[in-house]
Amino acid sequence: MLITTTSAVDGRPVQEYLGVINAQSIIGANIFKDIFAGLRDVFGGRSKTYEKVLEQAKEDALRELTQKAQALGANGILGVDLDFETVGSGSSMLMVIATGTAVRL
Amino acid sequence: MKSYFASYHTTHGAAPIESTVLVLDKNLSIGFRNPDGSNVMLNWLLKDVDVSFDFPTQHTKLRHTQQPGGELLIKGNDAANFVKEMQAEQKKAWHQKSSGKEWIRNSLLFLGILGILFLLYLLIVPWLSQKLASKVSIKTEKQLGDAVYDALGLAGQEDAAKTYVLNEFFAAMEVPTAYNIQITVVNDDVVNAFALPGGRIVVYTALLKEITSYPELAALLSHEFTHINNKHSTKRIFRQLGSKVFLGLLFGRFGTVTSVVVNHADNLKSLTYSRSLEKEADQDGLAILTKRGIDPKGFTDLFNHLKEAAPVNSMPEFLGSHPDVDKRIAYIQETSQNATVKEDVQLKAIFEKLK
Repeated sequence: MLITTTSAVDGRPVQEYLGVINAQSIIGANIFKDIFAGLRDVFGGRSKTYEKVLEQAKEDALRELTQKAQALGANGILGVDLDFETVGSGSSMLMVIATGTAVRL
Repeated sequence: MKSYFASYHTTHGAAPIESTVLVLDKNLSIGFRNPDGSNVMLNWLLKDVDVSFDFPTQHTKLRHTQQPGGELLIKGNDAANFVKEMQAEQKKAWHQKSSGKEWIRNSLLFLGILGILFLLYLLIVPWLSQKLASKVSIKTEKQLGDAVYDALGLAGQEDAAKTYVLNEFFAAMEVPTAYNIQITVVNDDVVNAFALPGGRIVVYTALLKEITSYPELAALLSHEFTHINNKHSTKRIFRQLGSKVFLGLLFGRFGTVTSVVVNHADNLKSLTYSRSLEKEADQDGLAILTKRGIDPKGFTDLFNHLKEAAPVNSMPEFLGSHPDVDKRIAYIQETSQNATVKEDVQLKAIFEKLK
């Protein structure tokens, strides 16, 4: 599976467009992560706890996107775009949306 | 997760079909298109997959151990390494179905952490707040008390004559203190009296009317005086601030429902503290009376008068800011059993001026 943010792949023309696909992953950091991140907010510095949560959400969204593409019979996803948002009361949850076009190369 | 291009052979040596392979946490997902154009998805569990690397052709070979025949060929050894890595990962203890013992251990750990947080809330936070409260200077407390007094808008309703007498009475009690105690009598029909941080005591005329003897007045003033001298208001402010900040840090990110529940629990907790401070004021006030030889019966009389003024007190004790009147009478009587009483002519004379 070829996953790329570009709209075309050098040397491999698109044979078939299979449609736009998207996948989202919404993850809540747990209470302890919130506390540690809160401390980071007070004392400054990078919040590894939140970074890990974001990384995991991104992985999950991309995996789901790839599985959807495969189910369509695609062997590539072009123009992949990742959106990051916070949702939930108090913006306590992180959301990652992955969008792309499933194609056969 | 990693994805690969592979050639799928339905049987060994059959014509290759171009396919995509996703190596997921627990399984392989294989997708390819049949010659007739239909999509096919195969799902192999990682534990059933046999991995080998064919060195001469530099291809990774994947086979299903339960369903012989199918064969995947992937260029390079990256796929072989990754699949082996994932298989090893799946064999690790925490991926196996957890047994009952582990559940118990995990819940105990969770309860332990909750317990520590609860302990922090119950013991450490109040202790720290008390420490901070005792650091506040009398001058700051006075500024705070004056600000509250101004905000109450009581100026102009004072009864100057009674105010003078009460201040004279308190001075005659000769209570040693670093505070400049300033008593004000206010015209109002509320049966109440209160102390403000920094030295102000406010007594309403309606309460003053209920008081029939000088030990009773001494009891009232010594009770309110203890609130000031022991920095009760300041301690309460710091304590509430401390617990609010702590709970805010823990639960601040949660929704309205949680915050309502937590706030109410915290309010009940602070009422308990309020009652303990009232008890302290009663007992230290009683000590002032006994030291001076004033009749401790002043306290019980005062409580009875308060009870008469607010007869329908059906509220259970745990919802009140003060202890139950009967309980207050009981512990005053218990601690004042052996008190020696002598008539104080000076205080009595000043008290008579009020009538």
